[in-house]
Amino acid sequence: MSHTTAVDRALIVISFKRRLAYKSGWVFGLALGGGAMLISMAMWHNLLGTGSLSGYDWESMRAYLIIGFIAATMVFGASDFTIADRILDGHIAVDMTKPVDFQRARGAEYIGSMISTAPTAAVGVLGAWLLFDPPGPATPVAGVLTAVSFLLLFPLAFGITYLSILVCFWTKRYLGIMWLREALLSFFSGMMIPLAFMPGWLQAVSWALPFPHFTATPAAIYLGQVDVPGALGLIAAEAAWVVGLWFAGRLVFRFAVRKVTVHGG
Amino acid sequence: MPILEARSLTKTFRRPDKAPGFKGALKHLAQRRYKTYTAVDAIDLAIEPGESVAYVGPNGAGKSTTVKLLTGILRPSEGTVRVMGRDPHTERIANAHDIGVLFGQRTQLWWDLPVEESLKLLKHMYGVSDADYKARIAKFDELLDLGEFMPSLARTLSLGQRMRADLACALIHAPKMVYLDEPTIGLDISVKDRLRAFLRELVDEGTTLLLTSHDLADIEEVCERIVVIDKGTVAYDGPIQQLKAHYITTKAVNLILEGPADVPALAEKFPEYGWAAGEAPSEVVVTYESNRFTTAEVLGGLTAQLAPRDLSLSEPSIEDVIRRLYAGELTR
Repeated sequence: MSHTTAVDRALIVISFKRRLAYKSGWVFGLALGGGAMLISMAMWHNLLGTGSLSGYDWESMRAYLIIGFIAATMVFGASDFTIADRILDGHIAVDMTKPVDFQRARGAEYIGSMISTAPTAAVGVLGAWLLFDPPGPATPVAGVLTAVSFLLLFPLAFGITYLSILVCFWTKRYLGIMWLREALLSFFSGMMIPLAFMPGWLQAVSWALPFPHFTATPAAIYLGQVDVPGALGLIAAEAAWVVGLWFAGRLVFRFAVRKVTVHGG
Repeated sequence: MPILEARSLTKTFRRPDKAPGFKGALKHLAQRRYKTYTAVDAIDLAIEPGESVAYVGPNGAGKSTTVKLLTGILRPSEGTVRVMGRDPHTERIANAHDIGVLFGQRTQLWWDLPVEESLKLLKHMYGVSDADYKARIAKFDELLDLGEFMPSLARTLSLGQRMRADLACALIHAPKMVYLDEPTIGLDISVKDRLRAFLRELVDEGTTLLLTSHDLADIEEVCERIVVIDKGTVAYDGPIQQLKAHYITTKAVNLILEGPADVPALAEKFPEYGWAAGEAPSEVVVTYESNRFTTAEVLGGLTAQLAPRDLSLSEPSIEDVIRRLYAGELTR
């Protein structure tokens, strides 16, 4: 294992352990996420009944909502505030004295915190599976590609979150940025309502953004709404966003680091 | 060749120029105005390997900003810095391998984890071997009693424990150049003594040290050279002993006489000295210029003629000199 990989792993583990220190966070995550999923299930059950809307019937919607729950748990449960706070309260000064790439280190920490949401997601999915008995993946290949799509969510979520956190260097505040990012992500990912329910132009806008890969992409692959080449295309687009956002983060940091103004000791 | 060299190092910041109150806030929204102020103003500094340098100045003088420029955290507005031949800002990662930094007001411990976890993570970051890690932890334990709180969560530590743990974090990779920014802030006297002893040992082993502190005892006990900074510029740079010898020319003797001291009469009898009443009626303070009289001369003359019941010498205080340097009463 190379030195940088060992550091990545150490940062992932320590970030995971930090989340482990606050067990109540998991319980709240499960209660809030699980509660939101139950409400969505009830709402869509009433809306769809035995029919279908925009290509979704009750059976496919159950799987769709569970996929949305997993993505939301992973993304909204990660510790973006920890990174933003360190920039805002000046602890970035300490981070800058460490012999690690700033972005890569924050990425490892963020992914560690995303991994810490796994127990919440697992318990929530198990409960939902037992309660609602959703359909399995359209094909075994669709199942594998859905998993790949979910794996790419780790760096994709970091890319979007990191860029939004870097805005703190200019705004000196984070809460509003976080709300905006979460609102955009919830809406354009299809977590709130599937993109198929939106007008055509709004769907086009959504698909031009990285957000649909948080729910619409894995759901479309899982439910067989796209064939294998289509699924591979979606995954390629997701991977392209990962790479693009990574380099965008690098570029923005080059300017952001000039804004570091840690006053006082 | 200096291990650290800064030339014309300058850092300016831009601050919003807002009038007070709601009206001022509204006006600033419509018409943004900023003021530029210079935190560090064309500082030249060279530190040789193994030197221990105190970097002192009043609040807001630019000490911490200089440390952040030297460690690569901030980018200079003008001028250059080289640490071991590298630009610490553009070559931040390579530079970070060779330096240790402690900010007394900002911990590098992971707040919600045991101290041991933070140190192990730093071991990975710096690529410290298992053997070196064990040896250094054993040494820190011996000198700083680290073992007693290694398993404790960082957030449960006392300030003294936290500072000792932070010092271990800054030194776990045996850096060649160490920057300590207010390492004894808020500590009680016994913890301060232990930290100072530890730092003296570090310097004796050949580590180069740059220390900023408001506690002048830190400086006198640990450093050989002092750089006094005020309003972003260097007010004095030289050996501490030289600073004392150059500026501390007035010494004092406290005399306790058998009866009440008649200060005007004594001043008339010994006009070459300064005379002032002490705290008790029988106490008198005699001041003399050390470049005119030796202490032995003064004591010999006074004890022979006044036969004091007791006497004590006031040690020259670097604190007074620095206070006067800050106040602009002394010049280089």
